[in-house]
Amino acid sequence: MSRLAANLRAALVYGLLSLAAFLSIFPFFWMLVGTTNTAADIIKGKVSFGGALSQNISNLFAQVDMLQVFWNSAFLAVVGTILTLAVSSLAGYAFEMFQSKTRERLFSVLLLILSIPFAAIMVPLFVMMAKLKLINTFTAILLPIIASVFIIFYFRQATKAFPRELRDAAKIDGLKEWQIFIYIYLPVMRSTYAAAIIIVFLANWNNYLWPLIVLQTNENKTLTLVISSLASSYYPDYGVVMVATVLATLPTVIVFFLLQRRFVEGLTGSIK
Amino acid sequence: MNKMLARVRNTAIFASGISLLALSSAMATEITVWSWDPNFNGATMKEAAARYAVTHPDVTVNLVDFAKADLEQKLQAQLASGTTDGLPDIVLVEDYGAQKYLLSFPGAFEPLNGKIDYSGFAPYKVQLATVDDKTYSLPFDSGVTGLFYRTDILAEAGFTAADLQDITWDQFIDIAEVVKEKTGHPMLGIDLNDAGAVRVLLQSAGKWYFTPDGQPDIAGSATFKAALETYAKLLQAKEIYKPVSGWTEYTGGFTSGEVASVFTGVWMTATIKAADMSGKWGVAPLPKLAGVEGATHASNLGGSSWYVLSSSAEKDQAVDLLAEVWGKDVDFYQKILVDQGAVGSLLAAREGEAYKATDAYFGGQAVWQSFSDWLAQIPPVNYGIFTNEADAAVAAQLPTLANGGSVDDAIAAIDAQVRAQIQ
Repeated sequence: MSRLAANLRAALVYGLLSLAAFLSIFPFFWMLVGTTNTAADIIKGKVSFGGALSQNISNLFAQVDMLQVFWNSAFLAVVGTILTLAVSSLAGYAFEMFQSKTRERLFSVLLLILSIPFAAIMVPLFVMMAKLKLINTFTAILLPIIASVFIIFYFRQATKAFPRELRDAAKIDGLKEWQIFIYIYLPVMRSTYAAAIIIVFLANWNNYLWPLIVLQTNENKTLTLVISSLASSYYPDYGVVMVATVLATLPTVIVFFLLQRRFVEGLTGSIK
Repeated sequence: MNKMLARVRNTAIFASGISLLALSSAMATEITVWSWDPNFNGATMKEAAARYAVTHPDVTVNLVDFAKADLEQKLQAQLASGTTDGLPDIVLVEDYGAQKYLLSFPGAFEPLNGKIDYSGFAPYKVQLATVDDKTYSLPFDSGVTGLFYRTDILAEAGFTAADLQDITWDQFIDIAEVVKEKTGHPMLGIDLNDAGAVRVLLQSAGKWYFTPDGQPDIAGSATFKAALETYAKLLQAKEIYKPVSGWTEYTGGFTSGEVASVFTGVWMTATIKAADMSGKWGVAPLPKLAGVEGATHASNLGGSSWYVLSSSAEKDQAVDLLAEVWGKDVDFYQKILVDQGAVGSLLAAREGEAYKATDAYFGGQAVWQSFSDWLAQIPPVNYGIFTNEADAAVAAQLPTLANGGSVDDAIAAIDAQVRAQIQ
């Protein structure tokens, strides 16, 4: 009797899990199917693979300079991630390690900044960039993101778990603060860095509003802008849109799978 | 010594290179244009640029395309910032938003009176871009409406093209009921989140959500009441339409062959023709609001126009491009009609070959001639600044109306919401 109940329970759990898995995977599957179908078939709701893949790919490359656009997105995401991590992890480390009277107050102000929506500072930021003559440059996109309050907060929290004894021991051995950071802190915190890389890379790769406002020419456009433009024409070619979407999804998938194990460790705060 | 010579030589080459560059940039003009569909409005501007380049080989046009919502956000942010860095020379603006930009950013756009002969354009297009007797746009594509319908399905139900001429919406509903009964096809696809149909009905009788001086014209407007009552009647005849959600399902309704008709802007023609049902479609005039003063069979949905930015360094050249090609080249309008399906607002264009041609897809009907006839009859209205807000207020009431809610209550609610929002 109890065995039957256990089986029933297992069936129910697996049923629900399968449903959840289906719901998560279907959009991805639908996107892949879409790359192989014509726009007309997609609108009709065709769920099977078709033969229009090469046509869709060549249409996309005929309409958009994909190599340039892909390079733009990749450059911004990679350089943005490196700079953000370099600056924000140092800040997070410093906030936790160094004592000062104003530290907590300053940190509260930083956290308050988190609550200001980007749309509110967009116009003043644009004026600033225009005065610096940085409109339509990648610098204008990178500058506002490298000091990321969220990543500073994230590193400070993670640093709380960093054993201070390690730092003390290193100090006794004669290491300077920057040496401690590079030779002791960095290796110990690699899971935290991995998780931060995923978070920042995703955010930069998907960055939309600010590049939209600042970038002015076709040569400088990023993938997200191009997809938005493709998808909103009067008669969108959804096959082409799907190919572009798959191309846009690939790097994030690759980065995630490469760092997946460390990402989970980083989020659960493990330090070995 | 040799090194020294080489350096002098290099400097000389470099300097002459610079002066050459300076020379060529003084002669060559690049006009930057923002538009939102590279296959539609972008392509038409490309054609215009090619024609202009024949007489002005030194002028090139740099087309930048964004999604429409993106372009509007970008333009809004940049105009609001007060810096003119990075603004284009010419920008495409949807007609419903024209007054908002013109009134919110006085001085940002260049008035074109005296440079463009506005008497040659559809009057409603000129009026919507006019503020204080100054007109700012080169009127581009029209959203002149018509009733696209499946001739084969209507024939199966016993109707011919003649049965759709000069009818009212009540008669349309009667026809739709017969079509549904005899063929099983719903006559329309209706999205309850979209108030576009109410806009079409309103303008067909020469009214809008607002009076010409910008005050709400909702509660107390006989035309608004008639439009909403008519649409409520349609919504309540649930068997004649297929409820849809979103644009893709809406267009999918008739491109898949399920839905028998659609009343919408002429720009839908390309979508309908892409559906591979040649000879099975026809176009009839928009049904009319019954018992309303000034009601016509002509209305508009969407459409856009070109505007020149006052801050543009190439302003004169940009205006000249619009005036020379868009302002009078009838042949150009034939080309963009054939290639992009774009119906411009230059009335003289209809005398060209392409406008007179018949279309086998529409059973040999001269559809462009019909559309351009209706184009000249569209009643001008003032779209005002708050069309989007009013639209949202109307859309919020549509589900209630579909379920038999009172039209008077809906009007009161819409009026209250609009007044609250525009304060």
